[in-house]
Amino acid sequence: MCGIAGRILNSPGNVGRDLVALMEAQEHRGADSTGFAIYTIPRDTGYVLRGMGFDKTNLDADMADFTRVLRDTGSDFLTEPQILQDTSAYYCFRIEISDPKDLSAWIADADTLSNRIEIQSCGRSLEIIKDVGGASQVADKHGVRDLIGTHGLGHARLATESSVLPNASHPFWARPFSDVAIVHNGQITDYFTWRNRLERQGYQFLTSNDSELIAIWVSDQMKNGLTMDQALRKSITSIDGVFTYMIAVPEGIGFAKDRFAMKPIVAIEQNGELAAATEEQAVRRVFADECDVINYDGPSLTGIWTVGNSELAA
Amino acid sequence: MSEVVIEVGQRPIREVNEEIQEACKVGRKIRIVNSLSRHNLGVGLPPGAELHFEGSTGYYCGALNTGATLTIERNAGWAVGEGMSDGMITIGGYAGMSAGAAMMGGTIHVKGDTGPRCGVAMKGGNIIVEGKIGYQSGFMAHSGKIIALGGAGDSCADALWQGEVWVTGDVDSVGVDVKIVEPTSEEVAEVDALLDPLGLKDTSRDWRKMISGQRLWYFESRDANAWLMI
Repeated sequence: MCGIAGRILNSPGNVGRDLVALMEAQEHRGADSTGFAIYTIPRDTGYVLRGMGFDKTNLDADMADFTRVLRDTGSDFLTEPQILQDTSAYYCFRIEISDPKDLSAWIADADTLSNRIEIQSCGRSLEIIKDVGGASQVADKHGVRDLIGTHGLGHARLATESSVLPNASHPFWARPFSDVAIVHNGQITDYFTWRNRLERQGYQFLTSNDSELIAIWVSDQMKNGLTMDQALRKSITSIDGVFTYMIAVPEGIGFAKDRFAMKPIVAIEQNGELAAATEEQAVRRVFADECDVINYDGPSLTGIWTVGNSELAA
Repeated sequence: MSEVVIEVGQRPIREVNEEIQEACKVGRKIRIVNSLSRHNLGVGLPPGAELHFEGSTGYYCGALNTGATLTIERNAGWAVGEGMSDGMITIGGYAGMSAGAAMMGGTIHVKGDTGPRCGVAMKGGNIIVEGKIGYQSGFMAHSGKIIALGGAGDSCADALWQGEVWVTGDVDSVGVDVKIVEPTSEEVAEVDALLDPLGLKDTSRDWRKMISGQRLWYFESRDANAWLMI
């Protein structure tokens, strides 16, 4: 039982604040960890990386090796890396880099360091912030309420399929596809079957969390020519388990729900803006008025919500 | 009987429910305002209590009801009236998944549609839905009636036990081990008698009455493949 949320604004605004409110309302669905995927104002060039290093006593050595790998591919820091440390053994970072010559190749190189330092999101606008603890705790630590953007996802995790670790928290980035993030409520029962297939194609999995699989699975389908709508529909019959997931890209958010209708999702759409969540009482934190809520209670459902006039529904 | 107004907002639900129970003890009608779809409102209400919810409620509203009358103006979340043994719950809009799950008695009246598994494992009572009942409604219903006036979704009445699902309108598909039978005029009169107090009686309806085919009652694990739906 996890809690998921999505939020879309018509123009860049307090999406971080709203997602924190949506997740605070759903903290009882999973207090192991909380995470946010925020689509900030997109950059024309360069990428923002979010991630963590697992041993802060190795911070200097980690960063030195990370810098070497980065510069080897023709990229460099655009600003000084921001490092966040507290009493935890791990540290978190936010880094802005210029475009590598080949993004996928650079990510593969950087992942050779993933036992020490892990990139958890990469995008022109996507920033994934996740940590152990409840919504307020994570939001306070990482300043999530101050993040400005157009849309994003939130997740409260009750760990069922993998460990309670900051890096096993949601959202998951669809490595190595930039600006794609996912949140998921459910269990995927044919996880290893699909993971083996995708690994044989060269995809890299950094956790044993089944949600990471969905992120890469959907992105791979889209890479192979399916629209998001087609990929979402295909996931319902291809992936086994009980699930409701939301996947975000720069143009909007899509969702899919399994054949058994076991995991809830409701949404309020008003004047082109959206709040979606596992529970209706959460979306009421954003839309307090008694406006109409849409209950996506049935089985085998998909949907796409776009940002502004973005084209995604085709 | 004077009316008491109870505000929900972001108050702790335990505190709100205690206030509701206190008002019930002195026999006052209760109006719940600003409910914001919060969960577990009005659970375990005593006989004779009267509650009116302005707006929508969250999960388990009216669960374990033992004889109270609840009116919800708009939507109810998942499992409204779960395990209720008596009383009446009226929902003005939509009822989420598992409305009336495992209920043992009383009546739930939904003016809109319901989500999946309406009346799942119910053991008595009646659920009357003016709209469409969702996927797999009536799943393993042991007793009682689900009456849907606006059709039914897929896998209707799947694995029904001794409950009955009555439908007018389109049925997307029926579930496993369902038998559709022609109701007798006495049985139709019984259903009309349930609908009449709600102003829903219409003798011209063409009913489909679904009952168990009883093949699953004697389930043999070696035949399991015959029951796979997906």
